[in-house]
Amino acid sequence: MANKLLRKTFMEPLGKNNPVFVQILGICSTLAVTNKLQNTMVMTLGVLFTTALSSLTISLLRNYIPSRIRMMVETMVIATFVIIVDIVLKAFYPEMWKQLGPYVGLIITNCIIMGRIEAFALQNKPMLSLVDGLASGLGYAYVLLAIAFVRELLGTGSLWGYQILGSWWTNWSIMIMPPGGFFVLAIIIWIIREKIMKEAKND
Amino acid sequence: MKAKRTFYSERIYPLLFMFAVTFFCILLTSGLHLATQDRAIANERSFTRRAILNASGVNYENTTGGIEEAFQEKIEQKDGYYVADSENGTRYIIPVEGPGLWGAITIMAGFEEDLTTFSGIAIVSQNETPGLGARIEEPWFTEQFRGKQAPFTMVEEGTADADTEVDAITGATRTSEYFRNLTNRAADDAKRIIGGE
Repeated sequence: MANKLLRKTFMEPLGKNNPVFVQILGICSTLAVTNKLQNTMVMTLGVLFTTALSSLTISLLRNYIPSRIRMMVETMVIATFVIIVDIVLKAFYPEMWKQLGPYVGLIITNCIIMGRIEAFALQNKPMLSLVDGLASGLGYAYVLLAIAFVRELLGTGSLWGYQILGSWWTNWSIMIMPPGGFFVLAIIIWIIREKIMKEAKND
Repeated sequence: MKAKRTFYSERIYPLLFMFAVTFFCILLTSGLHLATQDRAIANERSFTRRAILNASGVNYENTTGGIEEAFQEKIEQKDGYYVADSENGTRYIIPVEGPGLWGAITIMAGFEEDLTTFSGIAIVSQNETPGLGARIEEPWFTEQFRGKQAPFTMVEEGTADADTEVDAITGATRTSEYFRNLTNRAADDAKRIIGGE
């Protein structure tokens, strides 16, 4: 029973309850940081770290937090983890920190994190909340990486900064700009919901 | 869980709880900040020094130690500019800041002894669109200015051939224009600040 619950908690955010393509959460950062794989990777790791640990922390405190100030506490905890990510990046990966600029700080406004705390961590045991946070972060990460893969490849002809397509390729500049994010995200949501998820339901 | 609502549970406890959480969170983040502060400052300084070296054309080893060593050896700081003792003669480097598309762009502009021919350009900071305007950081773009004289005109990517022409970045016309203005101003600044005109 316990294992089944754990499994369900872990698998749901990856598939049928994915934060990005089912709940449509965290879209701001999905559009903003997906034009280069490298930036996307660091951003998703930051979100993964924050969502996992803030879910765990809130779950540990859940019986002590007065419900009327719970949102203040949640924001405080999330902000603390985000600042930790920011400080560590600044000290150890300064080039990456410069590239991401304000986006690291904006992890705090990612609704996936607050959403998972409100919907899950406040009612569940710490270990389960950690798994839920981790899985939500992973569910967010792989969708973002898929979008970044398409955008970087079509927009610059390269992946992870390395040139992949030859000089015959004309870069689709629109893919790098914000509209490209909307196009790719919409197409991915459409494919997953209309094709993959419907078929899975029918089986 | 439905405990009796008292003055303590409704007013005092939330206050104390929030105070404790805030105190602990700030303790953690400020502790971490102080612990890594030196490193962050050193990184920042290394960035600036590498930009100065790049603009001057001095050869150096691209490590924190290598940058530091070359900087100490070859660069002299003056009021508002730097003088470099490069293999090919004296070089003058000035920092220039100007507007970009999204925020300020700061560059180091290096000049040869005549104070008009560029010896190199290096970006210190910029906030342009990643993948488009941010390509001003790529070597092919900054290298174009080496050995040329302002004022520049931006032409379509891959078509620059005259002495005052540089390739713009496709898809980043505005950033390219701002960058052109910035480099043209750098040339004026060099004459005014270093040359004393």
